Amino acid sequence: MSDMSLLPHGPLLERLLAGEFICAVSDESAFKRLQDDATREAIDSYLRPLNRRVASSQEEGVYFLAWRQLDDSARDQLARQLGDTVNSLLPLLEWLQLVQETLGRDSVLSPGDVLKPGELQAKSEDNPSLRERIERLATDSFFGSQSDQLDAQVKQVFKRLREHGYLLQPHGDRQVFLVTGKVDYLLELVRFIRDEEHLPVDDEGEDTQEALL
Amino acid sequence: MNDAETPGLESRLITTGVERLALLGRHAEALMQGYTNDQVPLEGLSHTALRKLLSARIVWHPDEQGGLKLTPKVRELIAEMVADEARRHVNADVAEALELIRSLIQSYRDSSSRGDYWQQEQQLLRLRQAVDDMNGRFADAIDSLWQRLNSDFGFVSQLNDKVRENDRAQKQVVRLLDGLALIDFDELIELVGSDGTLRKVLISQLQQQLSQHYTSLREVQHRLIELMARFRRMQARSRLVSGMAAFLREHPGFTPGNYARRSEVPALFNHAAPLTAAGAVALDRAQDMPTLSALLENVPTPLRSAQSVTAARPAEHVEDTLFAARQQALKDDVETFYLNVVDRAEQAPISALDYLNQSELQWPPEIWLFQVIAEHQGLPHSEQRAFHLHQQEERASAFNDVRLIRDVSLGLAV
Repeated sequence: MSDMSLLPHGPLLERLLAGEFICAVSDESAFKRLQDDATREAIDSYLRPLNRRVASSQEEGVYFLAWRQLDDSARDQLARQLGDTVNSLLPLLEWLQLVQETLGRDSVLSPGDVLKPGELQAKSEDNPSLRERIERLATDSFFGSQSDQLDAQVKQVFKRLREHGYLLQPHGDRQVFLVTGKVDYLLELVRFIRDEEHLPVDDEGEDTQEALL
Repeated sequence: MNDAETPGLESRLITTGVERLALLGRHAEALMQGYTNDQVPLEGLSHTALRKLLSARIVWHPDEQGGLKLTPKVRELIAEMVADEARRHVNADVAEALELIRSLIQSYRDSSSRGDYWQQEQQLLRLRQAVDDMNGRFADAIDSLWQRLNSDFGFVSQLNDKVRENDRAQKQVVRLLDGLALIDFDELIELVGSDGTLRKVLISQLQQQLSQHYTSLREVQHRLIELMARFRRMQARSRLVSGMAAFLREHPGFTPGNYARRSEVPALFNHAAPLTAAGAVALDRAQDMPTLSALLENVPTPLRSAQSVTAARPAEHVEDTLFAARQQALKDDVETFYLNVVDRAEQAPISALDYLNQSELQWPPEIWLFQVIAEHQGLPHSEQRAFHLHQQEERASAFNDVRLIRDVSLGLAV
C-alpha cells in the first residue's frame, strides 16, 4: 500500500467515481497525474474497498474506473452497458462521418479538435441531403431530438455528445466544443468488436508503404 | 576558337540575355496568367512582343490550333521562384550532370596541357557552374521537400492526395540519394590528378556540400516516413468509421458476443458503474455552525406571494358514481381474495398476483396490490394478526434504496 497522500486528488477521484473518462483534453493536469504509476497505485488502493481500479484505453488516451473483481452484479452492469454501447455505435459513427464530410475535413475527429455547432449548421443549411441526414441522426433514439428545426436538432446532438463525454464545452455560454479522448476510446471499441467478431471491415490502405530504409 | 572572337560573342550573349530577361518583367502579368491558367492571353500582346517572346523561347505554340503556352523551363522557373510545391520540379538526374563535369575536366586538362590559359579559365568557369548546378539541384530539391513537409502537404486538400504526394516525395528522395551514390570521389580524385584548383572545386568543397545534402535527405526521408505513418493512421480511422457504419447499416440486428460474461472481460469494456459521493448538512460539529447558518441565511427566499385563506379551500370531493362503483368492486374482489385464503385447506400463503391472474380479474396489478395491502391495514388489530402478509420487495437499483413491492403473499397465521 502506498503512503502517498490522496488529498490533492479529491476532485479527480470524484470525477472518476462518477464514471467520467479523463483525457488530456478533459483535464490535462489530472491526466498527467494519472500517467504517473505511483499516483495510480495510490488511487487503486484507495478504491479497493469500492471494488474499483484505474484502467486505461489501449493507447492510454483515457483513464476511467474499472471493476476490480467481476462479481455477478458487476457483470450484469457491464452486460447492460455493452448493450447500450452497441446501440449507440451507429449513431455515433454516422455523426463522425457527417462532421467529417460537412466540414470537409481530412480525417475523423481527433481529441482536441474544435467544433462549432453554428459552423455545422451553416454548412448544411442550404444542402437538403445534409439536412436530411442531420434530421435522421438527431431523431435517432440515442440523440432523441423532438424538433423539426435544424438548429434545435444540431443543439440536441451536441448536448447529448457532451453528456456522454465525447465533447467538452469549455465555456457554458459559448457554443464552442472540444473533442475529448473518448472518441479514441470509441474507435478502440469499434476496432475491438471488428476483430473479435471478424467483421469484414477493412482499415488498411490498398497500397502499402514501401520499405525505404 | 579564336581569342579575339570569343569576347565579342560573350558581349553579344550578354546583350541578348539582358534583353530577354527584361521580357519576363515586361510581360510578367500575361506570363503569370499563362502559369495559373492554361494559356497566355494574346490580348494586349503586340505582334512584335509575341515574336520576341517566341524567339526567347519563353512561350511556344505546342500545335497549330492550340493557344500560346509557357515553355516548361519558364514554368519551372516560376514554380521555383514562388515555391509552388504542387508544380515544383525536382531534378534528380545526377548522371547527366556528372557526365558534363567529366567532359569539362577533360577539356580543362587539355587546354592546360596546350598552355591555352584563356580557354583554361573559361573551362574552369563552366566547370564551377556545372558543379554549382549539381549542388543547387540538391539544395533546391531539399528545399522543396522541406516546404512540402512543413506544410503537411497543405497544397492538396484530400488525404488520399496527401498520401500520394508523400509517396511521390519519398520516391524523389530515393532518386536523389541514388544520385548522390553515383558521385564517386575516388574517380574524381583520379580525374583531377594533382591540379590544386580542380581539387578544391571538385573534391574538398563538393564533398562537404554533398555530405550536408546527404544528412538533410536522410532527415527529410525520416520525416516523410513519419508523416506518412500519421496519414495512414488518419486514413485507417476514416476507413474504420465508414466501414463499420456501413456494416451496421446493412446488419441492423447485429449483436456482438456478450463480453461481460467471459472469464476474461476485455479491459476496454470494463467500465465500472458510476458512484456519487453525496454529502449533506450535518449539525454534529459546533465549529461548522457559523458556516451553516451563513449558508442558511443565503438561501434565497422563494418568491411566493401570500395566499389568502379563502382562496385555498379544501378541494371538493367530486366522486362520480361510476368511480365509486369501481372502487366498491375492487374492494369486494379483494375481500373475496381474503375469504379465499381463509377457506383454503392448505396453509401455504397465496401470491396476490397469481390469484389476480388465475381469477381473470381485470384490475391493473399495481392497483390490486395496493388494495390488498390497504385491506390488511384496514382490518382491526385482532383480525390483522390472523393473517400473515408478506411483501416481496427489491431495491429500485444498486444505488437507489427505494424499495419496490413486486408482489405480496397472504396466508393464515398459524
